[in-house]
Amino acid sequence: MLPLSLPPFMNPFVGPGTYLIFGIVLLPIYLMLAAWLVGRPTDAKRVALGVGYLVGLTTTLWGSLFVATMAIDVVFF
Amino acid sequence: MSTDVGRETLTRPLRSPSKRYVGAFVAGLAGIGVWLFFYYQQLSNGLIVTNLADWGSGGGVPWGLYIGAFIWWVGIAHGGIILSAAVRLLGMDTYQPVARMAELLTIAALTCAGLYIMIHVGRPDRLVTSVVPAWPWRVQWSPLMWDVTVITAYFVLTATYLLLTIRHDIHRLRDRLPDVFEPVYRALMLGYSEREDQIVERMVWWLAFAIIIMAPLLLHGGVIPWLFALLPSMAGWAGGVQGPSFLSIALTSAVSGIIIIAAAFRYAYDWQELIPEQVFYGLSKWLGFFALLFLWLQLQQVMTGIFAAPTTLQHATEVKLSTPAYWVAIGLVGLGLAYIFASALKASLFSIPRIVAVSFAVLAGTLVEKTLFVVEGLQHAHFALYDGVPGSYVPSPVELSSILGAVGIVVVFFLAVSKVIPVVELHAIQDDHGDAEPTEVSD
Repeated sequence: MLPLSLPPFMNPFVGPGTYLIFGIVLLPIYLMLAAWLVGRPTDAKRVALGVGYLVGLTTTLWGSLFVATMAIDVVFF
Repeated sequence: MSTDVGRETLTRPLRSPSKRYVGAFVAGLAGIGVWLFFYYQQLSNGLIVTNLADWGSGGGVPWGLYIGAFIWWVGIAHGGIILSAAVRLLGMDTYQPVARMAELLTIAALTCAGLYIMIHVGRPDRLVTSVVPAWPWRVQWSPLMWDVTVITAYFVLTATYLLLTIRHDIHRLRDRLPDVFEPVYRALMLGYSEREDQIVERMVWWLAFAIIIMAPLLLHGGVIPWLFALLPSMAGWAGGVQGPSFLSIALTSAVSGIIIIAAAFRYAYDWQELIPEQVFYGLSKWLGFFALLFLWLQLQQVMTGIFAAPTTLQHATEVKLSTPAYWVAIGLVGLGLAYIFASALKASLFSIPRIVAVSFAVLAGTLVEKTLFVVEGLQHAHFALYDGVPGSYVPSPVELSSILGAVGIVVVFFLAVSKVIPVVELHAIQDDHGDAEPTEVSD
């Protein structure tokens, strides 16, 4: 059984999510990124475009939600 | 299909809107309007206007239709991009004409899924305030954070897939695309050269590879069912069977969604040649296969729940079996399966309107099943915390209106996108499709 409380020096970096999300679930994405970089044919500009989309879309998605949250805070509270 | 005629056919939706188009757009907006009217009541008065406030104002159920619909929309989202990825990875070229519609369905359905979480938490700003500051710590432990993480990754992968593949088509169809969207095309085509086609094709092959592993096995067969399956206190939720069970429901509803969208475009734009009946016949067989898996996994749960199960699981299963709505859900999927089986035996029984009707029935069945799963799981827990809450859960008009609103969003999304980009990949009409095949052999 997983311990529900951890010694302070281990908190918050060790839990099943650490291994599950970063070790298993995101593994296909690591493989994809590796293949983009090392396979042939490849091109730094297109890889940058792909990575830019991944990073940019994530930032835009949560960034715009954050801005909307701030707007709600200012307007209603 | 010759290339010129094919291109004319493919870009038909990009012409000036017809009366039917405007009518459909207005109908979609009307659906959204009805939901917004009710949602305003919820924002003004709080979740008490639903039956989901606090411990649940009806029978101790704080999770109801909203969460059931969230799972349902994520499920619909799955099949879309999986189908598209399968076209690319497994060479299932028959389905090439519906691949991009399937990708777009993923984007639209995931948006609706996110919307359901936002409206479920009450104040919409809770979506950010309860996730963003806590994420670095809680992703280590919380299945809710795992969900947020993986759904974000899935959305971003799908959008990247679409943005990378669209460049090829915009470049070749630019003279047939409306000039009014020139700034959009210029942004999408940033740094494009024909030389990149092979490179980008290889990149999207690997994107498809990542998606086809992550989406079914680790998202809808992983972190989504783990929201429930990891909770031993809820007898109806816990257990490893939920992974495959959720996945079977997701794939069943997703294929239904693709059939409906593809049939709508085929009907609206006379795309009989572009999307031949054979595509629908093939999709119907996949629908039948996934529906069979769905029913088989229900059987697994019923048998393990009634034969010699722990007391609370036995009780939860008996309640499920005595709920008429459960049999309506199973009946709708079962009747759909019977029709598909019959039309596989005798092809003359098959028709597109019939398979569309079956798809609607299957979608209704899977939504009912998912909502019941959520509600009954909460009502029949191992503990008696909610026993003192009177009443029973019935979805409120506020919740029901959200289905109308979400369907309206999907309709408006498809209608709007179809005026900006081709909703069928150019590869679907190109005889020289081979030149864009992935070059992974060099890896």
